Amino acid sequence: MSKEAQMRAAINQKLIEMGERERLKELLRAKLVECGWRDQLKAHCKDVIREKGLEHVTVEDLVTEITPKGRALVPDSVKKELLQRIRAFLAQHSAL
Amino acid sequence: MKMEEMALSSLDNSKMEGIAQDILSELVEDACLGLCFEVHRAVKQGYFFLDETDQESMKEYEIVDQPGVDIFGQVYNQWKNKECVCPNCSRSIAASRFAPHLEKCLGMGRNSSRIASRRIASGNNTNKSESDQEDNDDVNDNDWSYGAEKKAKKRKTDKNSNSPRRSKSLKHKNEIKGLILNSRKHNDA
Repeated sequence: MSKEAQMRAAINQKLIEMGERERLKELLRAKLVECGWRDQLKAHCKDVIREKGLEHVTVEDLVTEITPKGRALVPDSVKKELLQRIRAFLAQHSAL
Repeated sequence: MKMEEMALSSLDNSKMEGIAQDILSELVEDACLGLCFEVHRAVKQGYFFLDETDQESMKEYEIVDQPGVDIFGQVYNQWKNKECVCPNCSRSIAASRFAPHLEKCLGMGRNSSRIASRRIASGNNTNKSESDQEDNDDVNDNDWSYGAEKKAKKRKTDKNSNSPRRSKSLKHKNEIKGLILNSRKHNDA
């Protein structure tokens, strides 16, 4: 494993161990609900489901249709805030 | 450790930034997947489109706000003054007193055994109520016995010799079930 890959692995592990990943997840989720991202995406889901048919829609269908749109729809402010927190964590804890 | 520290200092900020972006990417993807799973489950369990009832049904089940009527539009003390005929003693009883009366009449409630054993203990003969074996006397009841008489608990001294009574009470329990559920009356051989 390259040094960088090792670093990434170690950082990820630390994120999880310290519970920070969970907190970040929750924060992101809350922000996304607040800014209407979730409702937007849900509406898009409805379209996909109506298109594919209620009985036949699979998880794969939804994932393929929803994930790219979801990624694109995240507002910049939310991204900024999350990145700030992540960077702060990295600055504090990347000295292994 | 020292080597890692050196490595850290030689990593530019852009690398760190890259890592941060990747972490963000993962988190966003988690969020998307979470939504997909939720939606998929809702679809398969049938509750996804529940918020899209048509106007007509909405009107039908609207909350009612009139005096004398509950929120469903039903009159709620309609049955207060009706009278029912007791199947056991053929008396006409007021609807709100019917349930406790039936309990005593058929010898099935918690209190009826107490009353019966009291009557027996005090030497009175009664042919109206029959006692049955209820052991959980102590449990606090929010029962329907209005003005529940606070009687001293009488321990039945002849409890053990009354095994024939046990099957009798079973027979009555089944009768009650028959009456209430409108099913066929259970006849014991």
